[in-house]
Amino acid sequence: MFNKENKLEKFKDAETIIGASIRVKGNFQGQGDIIIEGILEGSIKTEANLFIADGAKVVANIESKDSVINGEVRGNIKARGYLAIGGTARIFGDIQYTEISIEKGAIVNGNFTLLAEEHRRGDRKKTEEVEETEEGAE
Amino acid sequence: MHVYIYDEYLNNAKHNRAINRLEIRLTDLGLNGKIIRLGGIKNIKATIQNEIKLGAKTIIAVGNNQTINKIIGAIIDTEIYGDFQKKTLLGIVPIGDDNSIAESFGIRNIEDACNILLARRIEKIDLGLVGSYYFLNQASIQSLGTTIEIDDYTLEVMERGEVKIINLLSDTREKIKSNPHDGKLDILIRTRHRDQSIITVKNLRITNPDEKLIIDGVMGINTPAEISIMKDKVNVIVGKDRMFE
Repeated sequence: MFNKENKLEKFKDAETIIGASIRVKGNFQGQGDIIIEGILEGSIKTEANLFIADGAKVVANIESKDSVINGEVRGNIKARGYLAIGGTARIFGDIQYTEISIEKGAIVNGNFTLLAEEHRRGDRKKTEEVEETEEGAE
Repeated sequence: MHVYIYDEYLNNAKHNRAINRLEIRLTDLGLNGKIIRLGGIKNIKATIQNEIKLGAKTIIAVGNNQTINKIIGAIIDTEIYGDFQKKTLLGIVPIGDDNSIAESFGIRNIEDACNILLARRIEKIDLGLVGSYYFLNQASIQSLGTTIEIDDYTLEVMERGEVKIINLLSDTREKIKSNPHDGKLDILIRTRHRDQSIITVKNLRITNPDEKLIIDGVMGINTPAEISIMKDKVNVIVGKDRMFE
């Protein structure tokens, strides 16, 4: 988990760092942790964690495990794990999360969906279908 | 059999003392071998290839980064490469400037080099490839105006600084993880405002219309250039302190 101030501690061994002087265009994919401090236009997907720093500008759909957002994001965010939205974050897009924290000062314009709930509903639906099939068989 | 390849610039008298020191030390350690001086040789490739065909167990580059690259260039992607990879090791004795490759392997001077040759600790090392040129350490270029194309995305550097495409880290003080036998290259971009970017890739295309790409600090080539990595291509004798994870 991240600390209260949404700092970089967890990311000190990040596999990929996009510095403030870099502009990325296209579909960016990684296996390890990613830190974005610059500009990214396109999409980001990682199996691991994502940190978007204060000052970063991301125009992209995002998919990751845990995410910390302190910069600007224009696009949809899917955090399969924990999503921490910092006080400097500006998010314009829909958000899917499992756990979330939002710091005072953050701007978010979009819909929130709890991924875990969705999964639970999906699992319940499957169970009901199985029960119905079993009853039918009897 | 050891074959020592002395680079052409070692004919300069200022290196005589270093050469004498080397040869005395090699004799003391029982590491003598055949000496080939590139100064008088027109077809370097054929000469090096012939030594491997004759059964050289170790080819030792005596010189600098360029000497190592000449030897690698004479072997890789030729008909004798199979023999070289199975039977021959590459050793390095640094003399003079531009010896970042030797330093990467923990070989700081002639005495180190001789002791390391004796100990024969071997590492399989990847090779970077730029067009038809090979590199062990890195390729570098000025960052402003540089564009890097990787898989499905493009990086554009917007400030002055340096882009390094690293296979084998020459400066061990650098706090980045770079492994010369993971089959990957590390792109390190550092700009004037101490801003740092790191991306790990297998291949890329680099373009800067105003700057040359410098390979292992010795050779400049024009861009666009395709850069890729060849895994575990060379068996190098390295210092005991150089552990690559």
